[in-house]
Amino acid sequence: MYYYLGVDIGSVSSNFVLMDQYGNIREKIYLRTLGNPVKAIKEGFTQIKSRQGGQLDIRGVGTTGSGRHLADVLLGADVVKNEITAHAVAASAIFPGVRTILEIGGQDSKIIILKNGIVQDFAMNTVCAAGTGSFLDQQAARLSIAIEDFGDYAIRSRQGIRIAGRCGVFAESDMIHKQQMGYPTEDIIMGLCEALVRNYLNNVAKGKKIEEPIVFQGGVAANAGIKKAFEKVLNSQVQVPESYEVMGAIGSAMLAQEEREQSQAPGNYRGDDFILEGEFKSSSHECKGCPNLCEVVCIKRNQEILAYWGDRCKKWENSINRQDKLQVI
Amino acid sequence: MKQVGIPHGLFYYYYYPLWKTFFTDLGANVISSSESNRLTLDQGIKLAVDETCLPIKVYFGHVQELCRQHLDYIFIPRLVSVEPKSYICPKFMGVPDMIRAAFDNLPPLIDITIDVSKSDRPLKQDIMRVGSLFTNNNNRIKQAYTHACQENRFCRLLAREGYTMAEAISLWEGQQVQNPTSGDLNIGVLGHGYSLYDRYISMNLIERLRKMGCNVFLPESLDTGCIEQQAATVPKRVFWTLGRKMVGSALYMDKRPDIDGLIYLACFGCGPDSLIGEIIENKVKNKSFMMLTIDEHSGEGGLVTRLEAFCDMLRRRRMRGEGNLPAYG
Repeated sequence: MYYYLGVDIGSVSSNFVLMDQYGNIREKIYLRTLGNPVKAIKEGFTQIKSRQGGQLDIRGVGTTGSGRHLADVLLGADVVKNEITAHAVAASAIFPGVRTILEIGGQDSKIIILKNGIVQDFAMNTVCAAGTGSFLDQQAARLSIAIEDFGDYAIRSRQGIRIAGRCGVFAESDMIHKQQMGYPTEDIIMGLCEALVRNYLNNVAKGKKIEEPIVFQGGVAANAGIKKAFEKVLNSQVQVPESYEVMGAIGSAMLAQEEREQSQAPGNYRGDDFILEGEFKSSSHECKGCPNLCEVVCIKRNQEILAYWGDRCKKWENSINRQDKLQVI
Repeated sequence: MKQVGIPHGLFYYYYYPLWKTFFTDLGANVISSSESNRLTLDQGIKLAVDETCLPIKVYFGHVQELCRQHLDYIFIPRLVSVEPKSYICPKFMGVPDMIRAAFDNLPPLIDITIDVSKSDRPLKQDIMRVGSLFTNNNNRIKQAYTHACQENRFCRLLAREGYTMAEAISLWEGQQVQNPTSGDLNIGVLGHGYSLYDRYISMNLIERLRKMGCNVFLPESLDTGCIEQQAATVPKRVFWTLGRKMVGSALYMDKRPDIDGLIYLACFGCGPDSLIGEIIENKVKNKSFMMLTIDEHSGEGGLVTRLEAFCDMLRRRRMRGEGNLPAYG
């Protein structure tokens, strides 16, 4: 038996999926990135190893998410793909015929329109991250409610209170105002969910034709309140996949399989010891080569320098002999 | 010899050859600031009014750079209108005044008003006034202006071959520019020249697309007649010069079978873009369209993810032989 590893390093969560050669998900791990993706990658991999036990034959690795290049350096990936493609691949494998994917993550929210399993159109939030997972996190913390219970609070409400959803700052001050007037917490939370959905549909999904079947995924899909609000506004059924929180990782595992089955070359996976035994450190310095003063990041394993990035002119990046994969950063 | 400084921003990308030739022919030495970099941006943000758009802030940084040199004049034109019945964004009218208010170590400004919306007579008088700063010979001024216009037309011809305006200017100045590489995707890229061709502001958008295997089609490479013809199909005439060019280019490329997709680069806080972007998004029916909004952020991840996803989408669609289906089912 051999496996494919899918890794999705996002701003808020880091997700890992171990898929066997027949496409069954054998293991899924959802961790908080907690601002330290290197640690999260190591932790995630250690957990997979210890749960499975013994030697794993990993044939291919796919990475996605905003930390996809970092994960590539640490693990050695065969496919480094953006989140849109990864999410679309996973959703259309689990729900063949899906037409619309609503995905809300930690910092990003996106809508993907598919036709016959192929992305036809997509959009992502532009400048503002209001209405994404990290804003919900922040509000849950302010109300001292665990984020996991946030959705349950919302569905207990009978009538959502109107909250301004256009901007995170406005939403927060509006919530505080309503709370001081004595509205019940459940109703405020439901109101927040509705505001978020309204904001999403007006900004991210603006002008897109949302057709059924609709799949809702990403970390925020855990929140039943948001799902309910989507169903209410769209007046159609919204499905949440069982592994909604790791769909990006599933997609990249599938892409890795697709890539490895087509190619004859040996895989890029660096081996278990590379990640488990190594001591990874990252440091940054300001390059004084030109007035751009790029902040160059350096990733080291023990004493060996694995990668540089962050320089506009690629002087540092190209100083290391690596495959062309990283050049598109 | 009198030293004239020209900031490397805003309409530099459309008129530098004209300005440079004019002043050089009158016996002045023209010095332009360096290409935008982090220092330009940082200083610009500090000096400029908060409400202006990013390119104007960067322009302030360029003026600041020129202030440190010993110049007799800085050339900061007041651009109102460059063609009959059409206008440049109103913020540009105020640029010389904003600059005067923000700097105290400013060399004398040459702030010619360029407004040919009703007639070109005032402009001609103003050109003579500016020329008289350098010579008393009226004929020489007229000749210099005629020559300057010729040089500018020559530079536009270079841009017709597929070079960006920045590359065309480099070529015009006798520098070497790499030929645009050829790829498998044809992408139309639209945006105001002063953000699109400024490699710092646009985060090197065009170069990135080329590296991802795209042939980039720019408004300057299209036939102006076709652009105007398409722009005229919009019910109300767009009275912004650049806006009309964008609408016309987008509609023209929408109908060209060889173009795979369109990207519009907008600046956060740009008044005209907020309308023009919307019009284009609504009118483009046959191609995939993506709008990118940029501001002060220097993290390039978001931009790269969107570009990768866009190219992926177009390629995977083609793989399934569905490239000709309209994007909006």
